[in-house]
Amino acid sequence: MPAFGSFALVVALALSAWNLLAGGVALRQLATGSRGAFAPERLAETARRAGMASFFAITCAAFALVWAAFTNDFRLIYIAEHSNRALPWAYKFAALWSGQEGSLLLWAWLLAGYGLVLRMRHKVDVKLTAYASTILAGIQVFFLLLVNVAATPFSLVPGGVIPADGNGLNPLLQYPEMVIHPPMLYLGYVGFSVPFAFALGALMMRYPGEKWIHITRRWTMVTWLFLTVGIFLGMHWAYNVLGWGGYWGWDPVENASLMPWLTGTAFLHSVMMQEKRGMMKSWNVWLIFSTFMLSILGTLLTRSGLVSSVHAFAQSSIGTWFWVFLVIVFAVCLFTYILNRDHLKTEHKLESLVSRESSFAFNNLVLLLACFTILWGTLFPILSEFVQGNKVTVSAPFYNRVAVPVGVFLLFLTGIGPLLAWRSTSMRSVRKNFIVPGIVALVIAIAVIPLGVHPWTIFTTDHEGAFYAWVTFALAAFVATAIFAEFFRGARVIQRHSGQNLLRSVVQLTRRNTRRYGGYIVHFGVVLIFIGISGQAFNRSVEATMNYKQSMNIGPYRIECMDYSQDTNANYDSTYAILNVFRGGHRVTQLDPAIRFYQASQQPETMVANHSTPLWDLYVVYAGTDTTTGQPIIKAFLNPLVMWIWIGLIVTIFGTGVALLPNLSAALAAQRSRVAVTAEHEPVAAGRTGD
Amino acid sequence: MTSAALLACATLVMGSLLYVFWPDRNVEAQNAKTRLEYLRERQEALYDNLRDLNFEYNSGKYPEEDYAAQRATLENEAAEVLAEIDLLEAGILGNHSAAAQHS
Repeated sequence: MPAFGSFALVVALALSAWNLLAGGVALRQLATGSRGAFAPERLAETARRAGMASFFAITCAAFALVWAAFTNDFRLIYIAEHSNRALPWAYKFAALWSGQEGSLLLWAWLLAGYGLVLRMRHKVDVKLTAYASTILAGIQVFFLLLVNVAATPFSLVPGGVIPADGNGLNPLLQYPEMVIHPPMLYLGYVGFSVPFAFALGALMMRYPGEKWIHITRRWTMVTWLFLTVGIFLGMHWAYNVLGWGGYWGWDPVENASLMPWLTGTAFLHSVMMQEKRGMMKSWNVWLIFSTFMLSILGTLLTRSGLVSSVHAFAQSSIGTWFWVFLVIVFAVCLFTYILNRDHLKTEHKLESLVSRESSFAFNNLVLLLACFTILWGTLFPILSEFVQGNKVTVSAPFYNRVAVPVGVFLLFLTGIGPLLAWRSTSMRSVRKNFIVPGIVALVIAIAVIPLGVHPWTIFTTDHEGAFYAWVTFALAAFVATAIFAEFFRGARVIQRHSGQNLLRSVVQLTRRNTRRYGGYIVHFGVVLIFIGISGQAFNRSVEATMNYKQSMNIGPYRIECMDYSQDTNANYDSTYAILNVFRGGHRVTQLDPAIRFYQASQQPETMVANHSTPLWDLYVVYAGTDTTTGQPIIKAFLNPLVMWIWIGLIVTIFGTGVALLPNLSAALAAQRSRVAVTAEHEPVAAGRTGD
Repeated sequence: MTSAALLACATLVMGSLLYVFWPDRNVEAQNAKTRLEYLRERQEALYDNLRDLNFEYNSGKYPEEDYAAQRATLENEAAEVLAEIDLLEAGILGNHSAAAQHS
């Protein structure tokens, strides 16, 4: 199997190289009108097929690696380092992406998978797809070169001395979400290659119009969704595994996933201005170029060990390869842009500052400001080491100082954007649409004060959290009201015309314009996420060494230690405490925080116990064992509103799913056209039968 | 390398070569997009914008004067696009009829 896997990677590289070379030659011949031994269309077809065949070759290689993990084939260095006999099967499968070589193979495989779909759907625009396919092949060649030369997953142990067992998977990765979090994140990173390839191809061929955006819209949304889910699964994993009571620590690898998400989100918004009004063409092209380059940077940071991170599960010297690739990508983008920048002339100018366009422009500027801040903070240790010789790490307060106000402003824009008209909005219209959300925001701003949200603490203490939480609650009310008003207004029009009840009218309204109303649902999900995050301002924690029947209090809860003990199995030893949780004298739940010690890797891992409610999470960690008494040291956190972050994610997924559906009118038109085609063909068919 | 692995490698190579280079008579032509196609896309986008505007006006989101001004701008843009479509279609039809007369 290792030989077959290794050989399959060579075949995949050859196929991708043919895709790139033959595709490039064919496109050149078609552009210049010259001809070679093959007709250019025929040559382009072989290139397309080579691209599709490379998917099957890489699938064979990925299968070979997974097979090696399942059969404990420790002849392979990769399997010996990332798996062991006692590892559960799901984590053996996850070994495919737990190390650098495997994760690069996953990158190549996912890219080939996206490429397969793109090349199969080439009839949507044969020429544009040929450009995109050739550009994707260029990216594919880079990743296949990596796994064939610099980071091969099928290297055999030196000297043929096969270890009896492997080192096992990093304990931090032995968590159910880790089986889906990295593939989701990678589907997001890799997926941005497709809109990038279409944008670069469209610019290279000076594609007239904005149809390339229409073609890539679903690709971009699906990719954005994967990246979003990947980021949130990572947050959920960090919250439940790292045991420090939080879900986001501005770790370089977390930042690496957030940066392309920010530019991708900016692109999803600003691209609407290009579709609707032919504006911001250069901006959009550079947004998607940047998003792709940031995805590559993200992979570099995660995989090269360039920065210190709890999430960087690989250390290596492949950084140089990535830097060279990034420079080449940037040079190609810049050269293509300079050559064709006259093709990207804007068709309209910004007419008013109070307009939908300006809200999108502000949204983009703010998202880019956040992205630049995070990029600066993430790369600062590398830059400082280069300049001063020592790494200066940037900590959370640096990011929070920018990200928190930026986030609050983005929430504000989320609310006002849909209320503004395209081109310009009169003051009368502003008053009309803003009055109800404004009143609701004011009511909420006053109502939360007696609940303990005191914004004035910003003047009396260094603690800004309560002030920003207060602003967030008020803005969340504003945005939610604006969204509901949009649904209500639209549904009333449908109701007037159809006589349906309001709920059915809302459903029909959404189906008539899935992109817009799906987008509003996503915005509502974002509101919930902001509410959840703002709860962080009111986190509390206590820590105590607990003997049998001893208890400690946090918020409305009393935690009582019932037992503490140890357990062992083939994979790990665990030390745990059994805690009963009481509220108002009634037992609410039992929590069992633990520390596991993995035998293969000789590393510990915290197992958090969490009692989650819509109001707060009671989050309990087995922080250690008192060396003198042997009693457990328990740390308990009371984290308000965290559940709303995960609920917000589910709403966001649902909203994106809605936005991906075809509009009702388009679906009906397609149905009508199918009926018409059938009717048109029936007499002919009948005639033939009659013959 | 075992014989099974050799067979698998050979199958992969042969399958890939056959798939990539097997002659296909129905190769898709890579036609460049015409100005007319571009204008029809633009027309569709403008109609979408007009539909959205009408719907939002009917829902009571915009006052009468905002609606009238925006509608007029969009209709002017659409008129320009339609005029160019007509011109190009007339040219194409003219070319077709000239070709028919020659034949």
